[in-house]
Amino acid sequence: MKYKVKKDYGRWLWVLPAIALVICLFVYPLGSQVFYSFTNKTLIKSTYGIRGLSNYTAILTDPDFWLALWTSVKWTVLSLLFQMLIGFSAALALNSIKNKVARQVYRILLIIPWAFPTIAIAIIWKWLLNGIYGFIPTLLTQMGITGQLPQFLSTPDLVMPTLVVVNVWFGFPLIMVNVLAALQTVSQDQYEAAQIDGARKLHMFWYITLPHIRNVIGLLVVLRTIWVFNSFDIIYMITGGGPANVSTTLPIYIYNLGWVNKFVGRSSAAAVILLIILLTICAAYFCVLNKWEKEADS
Amino acid sequence: MNMLTRLKRRMGEIGCYTYVTVLAVFAAFPLLWLFICSVKESGDLLANPTSMIPQKFTLANYHNVMVNLGLGTNIRNSLMVSLSTTLIATVISSLAAYGIVRFFPKLGNMMSKLLIMTYMFPAIVLVIPYAVVMGKLGLTNTRLGLVLVYLSFNVPYAVWLLVGFFKTVPIGIEEAARIDGAGRLQTFVRVVLPLVAPGLVSTAIYMFINAWNEFLYALILTSSSSITTLSIKLHTMQGADVLNWGDMMAACMVVVLPSVVFFSFIQKYIAGGMTEGAVK
Repeated sequence: MKYKVKKDYGRWLWVLPAIALVICLFVYPLGSQVFYSFTNKTLIKSTYGIRGLSNYTAILTDPDFWLALWTSVKWTVLSLLFQMLIGFSAALALNSIKNKVARQVYRILLIIPWAFPTIAIAIIWKWLLNGIYGFIPTLLTQMGITGQLPQFLSTPDLVMPTLVVVNVWFGFPLIMVNVLAALQTVSQDQYEAAQIDGARKLHMFWYITLPHIRNVIGLLVVLRTIWVFNSFDIIYMITGGGPANVSTTLPIYIYNLGWVNKFVGRSSAAAVILLIILLTICAAYFCVLNKWEKEADS
Repeated sequence: MNMLTRLKRRMGEIGCYTYVTVLAVFAAFPLLWLFICSVKESGDLLANPTSMIPQKFTLANYHNVMVNLGLGTNIRNSLMVSLSTTLIATVISSLAAYGIVRFFPKLGNMMSKLLIMTYMFPAIVLVIPYAVVMGKLGLTNTRLGLVLVYLSFNVPYAVWLLVGFFKTVPIGIEEAARIDGAGRLQTFVRVVLPLVAPGLVSTAIYMFINAWNEFLYALILTSSSSITTLSIKLHTMQGADVLNWGDMMAACMVVVLPSVVFFSFIQKYIAGGMTEGAVK
């Protein structure tokens, strides 16, 4: 196209609304958040002053912060591990079902959790796990597996595993659908060629399928890590971070600090720390992904 | 030998069916249970916590949440907010995505990387700035404020998705239209948009679901029951003195249904879009 022959200012009109929106509703609020992290702003008083790094030292010496960070790491790693395991194996199983109708039906059944609004996830699981009338505790007791109704959401040792199960339920369909889409891009010729050469199923999977979809899996792990690490709604609505902070992840810690206790400055500092952690994870992942891409090209 | 391999294959298939069936029960059971409980009478609900068949089928719970608890207002609010967000975001982001693909090809790659960064951004980080800004603008506890905030995270992601779709439009078609004397905007609306219609529709539905399901910002920015969305209404219903689980289930069904129905239509497009760049 020859648009660049004369100076073409008209083209900016296309992207201007989007750029303006991102600046006003994204760059500016983010900037102000970083600025607040150096002040002693609260939501109660309108005046505030600059306090340097004192918010950061306060956060980094707060044992609750480290506890929340540790909870976040557990939450992310466990959720992701099981989401990947189940999502991936479900995609493989679904892919080897030959009957098209059956495959479509299973596919739709399996993606139901992904479509659930978070508030509905919270309510239905609270109801299923309810300590008096819940389906799961009652069933377990009726089958004689537990002596009395298990209290999944108020026993400190059970809370995090239970929340992880809920998160795996919600998250595995996304992995499954993406892996399924990637599996369909592997050309059948390669399998046929391998079959003629007498390759075994496992070898075919290891040497043809896996290298082909490695990048998709890599990207999925990046995206999911970040989403799960950032996720606030599920835990907040199911347990609110309790009992006694057992399920307080970093986003909930930030929310409580800023919104409940009104310490805007300190909560902003914690938010900036969260961002730095995420950027580090992202950078590390993208390094690995780039390396893979180069390997694939060479 | 031949029989042995056939037997092996058969076993493998049975294994696959068993596995996906178990998973399907795990995945779909909560929705089924939600429905069953929403049509049970409240006595039945509490007396028989594991019975799959309601003693008596009743729509009383639905009637109660719609009429007595005024859920209709919140459905309207959610619809208004989600539809306006979707509409505005679709216009802004399709313009931008097309602009990036056609007029800023070099910058385009960098731009889409930046855009996806905004999508990975933790929602919690912007809670306080939004509360402060909306307070200053006098938009706290308004639907307009909510729409503005929802645009902030929907537009970047939509641009990113749409760039992928616009890239598939062959430039020759546009040149032909231009030679026939159509202006840029005319070419865009008459020629390009119809070609990417499926992508555009699925992006729009995705944004709608996003807005429909959003919780955190609605929690921060709206408080009164007449303004707020379904999610927040349900959240406050949980805090009632006497929690009526039958009502909760009926209200949940109302929130879940549009989401599930829309989702089954668009899941293929969304899945493709998300990791498309990574497929070699």
